[in-house]
Amino acid sequence: MSETGANVLEVRNLCKYFPIKAGLFSRVVGHVHAVENVSFTLKRGTTMGLVGESGCGKTTVGKTLLNLTPKTSGEVVFNGNVHLDELSGKQLRAFRPKIQIIFQDPYASLSPRLPVGEIIGEAVREHHLVPNNELDAYVSKVMKSCGLFDYQKDRYPHEFSGGQRQRICIARAIALNPDFIVCDEPVSALDVSIQAQIINLLEDLQKEYNLTYLFISHDLSVVQHISDTVGVMYLGNMVEYADKTEIFANPLHPYTKALFSAIPVPDPTVKMNRIILEGSIPSPANPPSGCKFHTRCKECRGVCSQAVPKVIDMGNGHTVACHKYDAESGYDKEEA
Amino acid sequence: MSEKIKDNKTEQNNQEQMALDDGRRVKVLSPGMMVFKRFIRNRLAIAGICILIFMFLFSFLGGLISPYRQDQVFYKIDSANKEYAGAVVNTDYRFVAVDGKTLSTMVRATFNSQVKGKAGDSVTFTADNNTYTANKVDENFYIITSGEELGTVALLGKIVDVQAAEGKEISAELNAAAADAAKAGQTSFELDGAAYSLTRDVGKNYKLGVMKEVALATMLNVDTADPQYSSVAGSYEFRRNCETAMHAGETSFTADGVTYTLEITSETDASVTDASGNAIANVSNIIVNPVTNGVILPADYKDAVADAITNKKTSFEYVNANGETEKHTIQMRGSTYIISTIQQTHLIDMYAEPSAQHLLGTDDHGMDVLTRLMYGGRISLLVGFIVMILENIIGIIIGGISGYFGGWVDTMLMRFVDLFNSIPYYPMMIIAGAIMDSFEVDPYLRLYMMMAIMGIMGWTGVARVVRGQILSLREQDFMVATEATGIKVSRRIFRHLVPNVMPLLIVQATMGLGSIILTEATLSFLGLGIKYPLASWGTIINSASNIYVMTNCWYLWIPAGLLIVLTVLGFNFVGDGLRDAFDPKMKR
Repeated sequence: MSETGANVLEVRNLCKYFPIKAGLFSRVVGHVHAVENVSFTLKRGTTMGLVGESGCGKTTVGKTLLNLTPKTSGEVVFNGNVHLDELSGKQLRAFRPKIQIIFQDPYASLSPRLPVGEIIGEAVREHHLVPNNELDAYVSKVMKSCGLFDYQKDRYPHEFSGGQRQRICIARAIALNPDFIVCDEPVSALDVSIQAQIINLLEDLQKEYNLTYLFISHDLSVVQHISDTVGVMYLGNMVEYADKTEIFANPLHPYTKALFSAIPVPDPTVKMNRIILEGSIPSPANPPSGCKFHTRCKECRGVCSQAVPKVIDMGNGHTVACHKYDAESGYDKEEA
Repeated sequence: MSEKIKDNKTEQNNQEQMALDDGRRVKVLSPGMMVFKRFIRNRLAIAGICILIFMFLFSFLGGLISPYRQDQVFYKIDSANKEYAGAVVNTDYRFVAVDGKTLSTMVRATFNSQVKGKAGDSVTFTADNNTYTANKVDENFYIITSGEELGTVALLGKIVDVQAAEGKEISAELNAAAADAAKAGQTSFELDGAAYSLTRDVGKNYKLGVMKEVALATMLNVDTADPQYSSVAGSYEFRRNCETAMHAGETSFTADGVTYTLEITSETDASVTDASGNAIANVSNIIVNPVTNGVILPADYKDAVADAITNKKTSFEYVNANGETEKHTIQMRGSTYIISTIQQTHLIDMYAEPSAQHLLGTDDHGMDVLTRLMYGGRISLLVGFIVMILENIIGIIIGGISGYFGGWVDTMLMRFVDLFNSIPYYPMMIIAGAIMDSFEVDPYLRLYMMMAIMGIMGWTGVARVVRGQILSLREQDFMVATEATGIKVSRRIFRHLVPNVMPLLIVQATMGLGSIILTEATLSFLGLGIKYPLASWGTIINSASNIYVMTNCWYLWIPAGLLIVLTVLGFNFVGDGLRDAFDPKMKR
């Protein structure tokens, strides 16, 4: 295991287009641009929060990273040199334990016919991570670390509550001793008290096993709590990426501003200054030209609908894709 | 000792631990045990299982226990007053020729016409260039004699020339007697008990002939009591002496050197026994013939008939060969007598009511319905299971491939399924049935063919279910998770996919069994399925298509209908029970 600070994951210009088929012979008539030109890096032991409204491609990023759905283009590099799409089937399977995923729906992500101990231990045995005679003890240990009890090993998923099931999902991922876990909205299906338990569990496990998370969520307060860095996505593009403190203190992109203005403040005296976005999210199959956000942007100018904004490094690892911050775009010369 | 205490202590500790530990209180069961436990808690399912166990025992054990074969036809004995024999009083002369000779038809005819004209006297007639003399012995009894040419007698004045014919010899005595007779102008003379005749030929030439018996004409008929006496009783001497004695009223006669006793019951009826008392023959003017061909009436029966007729009785009793007394009645019809008796005949025991021998009666072929139901159950259940297995094998393979691979494979296979689904089922079965009828396919081969056709026609439903289930499971998060955790494809299929499809399949198959049995019953009912001598519940119900059976013989079709209903119900109950038991969301 390499030391903290090394890049676990480097994503460069990741694209994922889903073909739209129509007609008698399933002709491809277009593509859904689910993920376009997403780039980021993740350091070991850190958590990256990925936020954005529904349908902006967060989950697709997560799945594409793990090659659960093949990417269209771009590069995904694990541990500096592992390209999943270059691995053979067998190598890929062997590498799988290093990269895990926790699903949003704890009810659908556990096979109803297997007892919990088997669900957790199955892949461990498959990959010979521990000797067979120690498997049982190992599973018990993992369950314990995830807040599950030993005696629940022989029970079936339907006998557990949602929070417990999510713990089982986490245990399944943790048992494989991964480097990197995609947490695909792991708490959105749970009630608030359970959310806190699961978030704390994830944080504890991160400390214990030096894990790296990609934490996908639309819940900004959760992301604010758990993340080290935050990426904001809009319609397949990552519009802003920065450290958590930086981005929450100083959001640059108009979309980020609007998004963050929706965070409820637990103080009734504070007047919330909400930015209301007009209209709904455009279709990713037929995205707007130029900046995809220009149809709903309050600060939209002529250039926004014509040119695709470049990713501007604002320093301190803060990047933003907006013409407003690009001196060369000619945004400033236009009238608002 | 101390060890034991220690053991107890640890045990106690364990128990305490278990008691404290909430999780240990619930006994952990294997998935199979859980399903079983849930299943046996379901009363309806247990009822279904009981029904099915009964059906299996009934069908597979019942056939072994049943004393009858499935195609055993039963007969019943029925008594009916049937015509047994016909008798006629003989009014024609019967001729018995001397041994080794025959009497020509011409002679017989001439005799008949001559005798008819001059009733009651001896007649002389010529036939076939021969002179015959019928000497009347008694009424309706003639002995026919004929002159056999010995030579010629020529009267030449005082000289009598007797010439022997070719190959004959004339003794000196006969020569002298013939000469004397010729001189005296006699036409016949006797010498040493033999009668000779002189027939005038040409001028004073005479033919010398010896009178010899050639035949007898009688209206009586002799039936031998036993075939072994047929040669004895058939001899001319026997007949002649017997009847002569009979007409003379004597009680014994001698023929061929044997003395026989004659018992005369009437003028026209007598019976002959030999010295040791064996019945040899019966003499009567009544001719008795059996009504049915091939039946040989015993002589004593004929005797009894003759006795009865001569005594003008309308009925008589006869002790048959088995020592049973039969009552026979005599009816006059025209000139013949019809003798009828109560006879026992074997009839196919059709539509017999339930009885101790046939608990559910017999069907239209006279077969035991209960036994047919047992063997029919074998066929029905066997067809159900084999067709179900066939359907599932094909369905799982096609549906599995279609669902797992998806894409164009799925499209192709599903269109193929659509194609199969659009083949009309019953017309197909009717055509297949007709083809097999025309080729006169062996019933067993027909059964196999039918199962194959039903299986091939029925797999599409299974394929669709399997395909749909696998398609939906494939996209489930837990299947994605197995990919994410890097589990082998084979393990993913058999450990994750199959266990999730299996319960549905088992339920489907169990439910499907009922409908297959129904389909088979329908086909058999329509006469397209199982053929005689095999039975199935459907063919047994088929008998209800006859309105007589429908209204009068409930025991023919109601039990079969009940069995079908119960079996299908049983399979459905078990299917429901299995579905509930397999559902992990069900409470324990």
